[in-house]
Amino acid sequence: MKEFMKTLNLLRMGLLLFVAALLIVAIFWLRSLSKDNHIDFGTDDQIDVTPTQIQSIKAIGEWEFLAVSTEEMVDTIRKGFLSNDELVRIYYGTARLGVNMHQVEPGWIRTSGDTVVMTLPKIGLLDKDFIDEARTKSFYESGKWKPADREALYRKAYARMVKHCMTKENIRTAELNAQRQMENMMRSMGFNHIAITFKK
Amino acid sequence: MKKFILSSLVVVAVVALVSCQGHSEQENGSGAPVTSYQGVDTVPMLIMQIQKCARLYTAEYHVHKIVTHDDVLRLKGSILQRSFNIPLPLGDRKIAIPIDAKLKAYIDLSGFSEKNIERHGEKITVTLPDPQVVMTSSKIDQENIKQYVALARAHFSDREMTNYEQQGRAAIIESIPQLGILETAQANTAKVLVPMLTEMGFKEENIIIAFRKQYNTGDMIQLLKMED
Repeated sequence: MKEFMKTLNLLRMGLLLFVAALLIVAIFWLRSLSKDNHIDFGTDDQIDVTPTQIQSIKAIGEWEFLAVSTEEMVDTIRKGFLSNDELVRIYYGTARLGVNMHQVEPGWIRTSGDTVVMTLPKIGLLDKDFIDEARTKSFYESGKWKPADREALYRKAYARMVKHCMTKENIRTAELNAQRQMENMMRSMGFNHIAITFKK
Repeated sequence: MKKFILSSLVVVAVVALVSCQGHSEQENGSGAPVTSYQGVDTVPMLIMQIQKCARLYTAEYHVHKIVTHDDVLRLKGSILQRSFNIPLPLGDRKIAIPIDAKLKAYIDLSGFSEKNIERHGEKITVTLPDPQVVMTSSKIDQENIKQYVALARAHFSDREMTNYEQQGRAAIIESIPQLGILETAQANTAKVLVPMLTEMGFKEENIIIAFRKQYNTGDMIQLLKMED
């Protein structure tokens, strides 16, 4: 009887140890499973895949001699009863100064022996569309703004960019560079005497 | 001596502390101290970069893209290593932004030299550098932006919209290799240079405008000019 009780006690102890070990394993297993538990609200910031369509193709002949890359920070404020609303954006653009070769007149380039005389069109802004609006950065926004407000900001940035880029100095720099580049090109073709003028 | 060293150390420590705070005092001509503060400029500087160049633009592409974004509010997560991603009702927002962009192909003639010209009697061969492509402008059609916002959601902020527009711009640039703009640029370059050379006295049949090679889609990636 004593022997039986001893065996029973041993069995009980063994079972207890087994259950304890099982519990420890279960706890570790559950902990490892719930290690990466997380819940949050989220949205996707990526745009959908849509096609890019060609609307038109044009042959052009624009000779650029000066590129003025600029950025303009513009803002608009709407006065309110308690507080003001404000929208501040930064626009980027590159004004390209040069000559449009489609504007040259017949006889604009004359040669005689090793002499060449060129009359180039007036240096100007090659393309009126020079703001890269899709590159625009939103700097600050308070309140709700309509598309018309953003369009007005675009026009404001455009006017400022034209004012800053189309200066007499820049036009003169473009002219000088045009002369230098054309002379270099003509010299490469074997002309030693080069005269370049611009239409006024 | 010890006292002197101690007082010098105190002075050095005070000077270091003051300079770390970005604050300094100077004396002007009249002897009155002028206080200047070194603050952090939170407003980006307005930069103007002027670059002399000699680029001959020969082809212009007008492209159009409608950038769309379906912004569904989702309950995302993982419980007991089981991931879930459930769209929530009344949490939908949609926006469509039309973008018009102008792409131009050009030849950079700033490095033009005798090496590019080959003359054999009456004949002239002009070998031109590789054409390159640049996005010269883009315009958001603000009036035709369409958006739908569910009751439980806030309107699209200006920052979000500009983010989608920037992604749309990047997508347009990515699609350039498929547009075939280089072939058009090569053909159009001849249309500009041949009349110029004929005006200079060369006969049209004696003029050859050559490029280094015929370009394929793989070359396009290298010839794209980004202006960021």
